[in-house]
Amino acid sequence: MSKLTALRRFGARLAMGLATATVLSTAPASAETKLDIVWMGWAEEMVKPLMDWFEQENPDIKLNYQRIPYNELLSSLEVRLGARTPEPDIYSADASLTASYAARGHLMDLTPHFKDQLDRFDGAALQAASYQGKMYAGPFATSTQLMYVNVDLFKAAGVELPGTDIKDRWTWEQVLEAAKKIAKPQDNVWGILLEQSDRPYQLLPLMQSKGAKVVSDDGLTATGYVDGDKFVEATQFYGDLFGANKVSPPGLFELNLVQEVFHTGRAAMMVGGTWNLDRLKAGAKFEWIAVPHPYFEGGTPVTSTGSWQIGINPRTKNPEAALKFMDFFMRDDVQVKWFNLRPYPPVLKANWGNLSDKLSGQPWEIARYELQNTAMPRPPIPGFREYEEILKLAFRDIQQGAPAKERLTQAAREIDRELAKYK
Amino acid sequence: MRINPAYYFLAPAVLGLTVFKLIPIGIAVVGSFYGTSLMGESVFRGIENYRSILSDPDLLSSLGITLLFNLIANPLQVVLSLAAALLVFRPGPLIGLFRSVLFVPVTLSLVLTALIWNLLFDPFLGPVNAILEAVGVGRQGFFKDEAQAMGSMVWLATWRGVGYWMLFMLAGLYAIPESLHEAAKIDGASWWQRFRHITLPLMRRPIGFVLVAATAINMLFFAPVYVITAGGPNGATDFIMFRIYQTAFNYIDVGRALAMSTVMLVVVLLVALVELRLLRSED
Repeated sequence: MSKLTALRRFGARLAMGLATATVLSTAPASAETKLDIVWMGWAEEMVKPLMDWFEQENPDIKLNYQRIPYNELLSSLEVRLGARTPEPDIYSADASLTASYAARGHLMDLTPHFKDQLDRFDGAALQAASYQGKMYAGPFATSTQLMYVNVDLFKAAGVELPGTDIKDRWTWEQVLEAAKKIAKPQDNVWGILLEQSDRPYQLLPLMQSKGAKVVSDDGLTATGYVDGDKFVEATQFYGDLFGANKVSPPGLFELNLVQEVFHTGRAAMMVGGTWNLDRLKAGAKFEWIAVPHPYFEGGTPVTSTGSWQIGINPRTKNPEAALKFMDFFMRDDVQVKWFNLRPYPPVLKANWGNLSDKLSGQPWEIARYELQNTAMPRPPIPGFREYEEILKLAFRDIQQGAPAKERLTQAAREIDRELAKYK
Repeated sequence: MRINPAYYFLAPAVLGLTVFKLIPIGIAVVGSFYGTSLMGESVFRGIENYRSILSDPDLLSSLGITLLFNLIANPLQVVLSLAAALLVFRPGPLIGLFRSVLFVPVTLSLVLTALIWNLLFDPFLGPVNAILEAVGVGRQGFFKDEAQAMGSMVWLATWRGVGYWMLFMLAGLYAIPESLHEAAKIDGASWWQRFRHITLPLMRRPIGFVLVAATAINMLFFAPVYVITAGGPNGATDFIMFRIYQTAFNYIDVGRALAMSTVMLVVVLLVALVELRLLRSED
């Protein structure tokens, strides 16, 4: 170990020691184990019931959880995991980053622990939680995308509605045509919204629907892929939704703001996750339907998937308590409760049956079809963090008028530069 | 040997400076010659980090954008803070209120300031655009327009900075002996002549301080870029500090980020030296 690494670790331990001393000096002595948890920033009412339930069943384990909004979560985890200290014991790991975390030694190998239960997990979710044949995280949610349609706006503009059946799936060209007829940018009424309008999670399926390959097979080269013809063509179509065609509001990157535009009746269509269903069912002030995700004419239907997993820091000082936490969250009944708090498609096979009353009928049948037939996980490459961040900034610029080819060529160069460290 | 008591008074400041500034700078400079392996071990890279960043056209563009921002924002803040100080210098009715109003933006955190202006300037929902539309100017992109984003950042930094720098200018104005102005008045000097030949020469030091301090702060301008534009649109606000942040925390390359920080430290020092030289008092 070099002197610099030793110095950094000494600094981190000193800080931890001081923090621990402060806690010990103020807290009463007890034998309970404390788990330090970094959790995705879902609303407290979606998180607390599960944490409380765990603490009730495990009175000797105290959970100290911190919810961090998505935009800050990933960089915050980089800082904390990069210090290579025992904390956090447990963290929410984005499915796209399993390879990145595992390759850098930030995830405990869970294969020995779950070896007899692997068939309980949905195949794609288990694959997303694995790296080089080993299971590194507990699948906690998966996702798929639907296209939500504001029926009132369609009727008012006299535009024919898309069908809700899989065989009636619209092409992006049809979406654009309808959006142009309905959008009135001057009145803040829009044709089509992409819920995560700058994130590769939502946008890569457009390029993949055109037949684009988004990174080299070894996951180390973006040039020739990210700036390839099909990728550029699909990206230019995306950029034109905001620019030339003016059917989507440019510069709206926050997921909750995009949702707000749709939920307040200001957009005809929104491609978004199943988590929108609760709000729509609870109180939409307009008639709505959910239809299958669009694809490009002449291309193939592709949908986003993957979501949250639970990871254990391999340096944790409390591996037994951490595994207890993991086991609890991988239980069928706990994930049923989780579905009722936030309706992500289940990752435990049994829960499609346990939740059959809620998951039958539309739009869940579309969701299930997409998960089984069109879902394409983000590329499981060790450098996905860098790949995603650089592409995100490129998508933002293209949305705001930068030419796709030029901007993607720059992005490909930047990605290659950052991926070089994994060679 | 008797130690000069002044050293005892200086000791806490020197200690703080050493622990919180000099040692971290030293660690950063040393770290800029290292990289990190995938498993977190430090690996000596020599000058590789510097070779990599200095041949990177994107970094040079970031540096250019940061310098351009400083070229506009720093003189603007100096002029406006001096003007604000002159306005609220003389006692008068409601002068306390005016001083407070000018100072209020300083009390807001930079992140909060960024959030507020991002909402005010929002192309669709922002009240500023509603007013512009009502008076027939039309909606503007502000932070979301490639041509206006830099100007909007200058506005934000200046809105928050002027009140703070005004305090230093006020202190400078109070230090000018009143008798000089009185003598000039008796000699028949106009307001402009007194400002040009008495106030301005005697304000050289406070102006120099504000210019150098504003440079040090504006060279490290970061939070609003992180909160509002993330370097966009199309690189228009790709400030160097945002690139350093990206490199360290999103691209997971601390060594290269430290090399960029070290280069930035040298640039800030050089600019500050030039500014000090230009504004050096003749006395």
